[in-house]
Amino acid sequence: MYGRRASQLLKEVDSCEAGQLVPFNSDVFDQVIRECNEHNTQFQSLIRKMVEQNLDIETTRNDDHYGAAVHHLSLLRNKRCLMAYMYNRAEVIQSFRWKIGPVLPHEIQEKLHFSEKEYFKNHSAAIKSYMSEMDIDLTVDMVPPKDPYIQVRVLEDIGEVSLGDHSISLTKNSLHFLRRTDTEQFISQFWISDMELVRKHNQADSKQEW
Amino acid sequence: MAGQSDPHLSIFSPSEVEFVAEDEIVEIVPNIRMEALNMICGDFGPFFPQIASKVPLWLAVALKKRGKCTIRTPDWMTVDRLTQVLDAERESPKEFQPLPFHYIEISKLLFDHARDDISDAYLVRSLIEDIRDVRFHKVETGLETISGRTHAVKLKNLSAMEVNIVRPFMVRTLQAFYKHDSPQMIQQADNTGSRPTPVTDRGPRRDLRRSLVSSRLGKNWYLLTVNL
Amino acid sequence: MSSWEDDDSAAAAAAAAAASTDVELLKRAWRNEKASPEILRFDSPLVSRVREQIQLLEETLDDFGESGVDDLVVSLYQMDLDRTLFLLRSYLRLRLQKIEKYMMHISKSEDLLSRLSQQEQRFAKSCTEMMEKHLEQSVLSKLPYGYDSVTRQSLSSTEDDMGIPFDLIIIPEPQLDTFVFCKTKSDVGAFQLDDIGEEVVDLVADDLYVLRYKSIKGLVESGQIDLI
Repeated sequence: MYGRRASQLLKEVDSCEAGQLVPFNSDVFDQVIRECNEHNTQFQSLIRKMVEQNLDIETTRNDDHYGAAVHHLSLLRNKRCLMAYMYNRAEVIQSFRWKIGPVLPHEIQEKLHFSEKEYFKNHSAAIKSYMSEMDIDLTVDMVPPKDPYIQVRVLEDIGEVSLGDHSISLTKNSLHFLRRTDTEQFISQFWISDMELVRKHNQADSKQEW
Repeated sequence: MAGQSDPHLSIFSPSEVEFVAEDEIVEIVPNIRMEALNMICGDFGPFFPQIASKVPLWLAVALKKRGKCTIRTPDWMTVDRLTQVLDAERESPKEFQPLPFHYIEISKLLFDHARDDISDAYLVRSLIEDIRDVRFHKVETGLETISGRTHAVKLKNLSAMEVNIVRPFMVRTLQAFYKHDSPQMIQQADNTGSRPTPVTDRGPRRDLRRSLVSSRLGKNWYLLTVNL
Repeated sequence: MSSWEDDDSAAAAAAAAAASTDVELLKRAWRNEKASPEILRFDSPLVSRVREQIQLLEETLDDFGESGVDDLVVSLYQMDLDRTLFLLRSYLRLRLQKIEKYMMHISKSEDLLSRLSQQEQRFAKSCTEMMEKHLEQSVLSKLPYGYDSVTRQSLSSTEDDMGIPFDLIIIPEPQLDTFVFCKTKSDVGAFQLDDIGEEVVDLVADDLYVLRYKSIKGLVESGQIDLI
């Protein structure tokens, strides 16, 4: 049936989870392109036949006219499907710049048509040039900020520690307010504990009593 | 149909709604002396020990976390007031009681960071949860009453987080009715003749609205809605 | 503010003033932009003012670091800065993403282009060019002569191409018919929702409605109503 392959492409897009991408289906894509050219050949030959019979192609309504119309419309439908396929994929691909970054991981790269790789690069460049014109980085701060400082209790004597522009002394059981980012290495080693987590933990415990 | 899943339906994330709520003004009682803060979001302070001061919620929480103040529970967050609100919510099935637009986020932030400043915290929390439940039930019931004749919905006193949660359902429902009630759908029904016209009591309006047909053809959806 | 006796009223006044700060205006623009299906007018002066305030605060924070101002105070100002920066970035990002979504639709309308900043206009232009180039080299260049145009289905296409409307190679555009949640700032009075005056709603101050965007977009533009 004419147009079936093309609709298969769209079904792939449609069945894919929003924002996700399936590998570019070059087999089916190329088949549809071949179908288009085949439709065109058929269309041209029917028109030629009508011309050879000295029929007015504008007004004649014979079998050949309707045959030509079917090929013409099938080609148009295929074109719509191909365009929709590429456009929808391009929308997902450009969203990767915001969600992933300027360099796509290998497993995504291999899902892309070569023109899609180029499109991603060009589109990222457009975002980059907007950001440098505006002198602002829009790829950070994707979620609302939280208090960057946390209160911590020191569990082990750590001693003098340099944090950015100043140093502080972390002695056992002392309480400090530090930037969350500065504390991560110590927390992960259980040298200090996040008081908010401690309090939440205690609250959760006391809640169970109710 | 893919064309109906509009990505714009969930437009604010819960953390964004909370971000907005953090600008609500609350009262704190500092235990320190501090110069006035002349911030981008406004001027606050100066602060003196034991003298109440009004600041945005995010600032209150930051000071509280640093052990520099207590946060005064807002008037509406007391057992008495909330009990009244809950009773009233239950008595009036079609109305929402007036509460701060961000009552859910404010109470959550206060429970998370200033629980020890809230008297009867446990009771207050369960009252707020009950109020939420009653209100959500009302929203659900309200959704069922939407019909093709609904061209506007008034939701007096609905809060920010409630808006955010109900939005996808509400918009999808209204849009579906609006779409099926649209002139080209009616026209199609007219043309087939066999099916009853969905809206028969509109008379002249149908013709008047027919001129809008072309502008409303779902052409913006084409890329997504090639019939499969 | 010299004496602390009037601290309460002063803080209240500060809170009232905060309601009209630039960051408050930016927050309104951000919320409206988020909730509106189409791109709204870019407020260049507002964005410049906010950026100036951000820069000023960044410089102040640098000075604080050198002059040994209390860590507590520094951290509070840092939070104020972080919040403002988030709002600004989120607002600008949101607009770029809308432009990405409706690039072709925006690029062909003078009215829509005029709503963009200069930088956004350049972005819209290059987005459109790159999308067209991409479609050209991946699809159109492989199609037979006569069928290889982005905007026309085929060389012979006219208003009516054997029953298929001419413009079915579709450019995605915002759906202005969609329903939005909004809050009135002041009494608007009887407001007509459709073109023929059959659907009229009385918009009262500080009420919450779900309405068709198209019918209230004028009120959003004039600032009488806020999308939420």
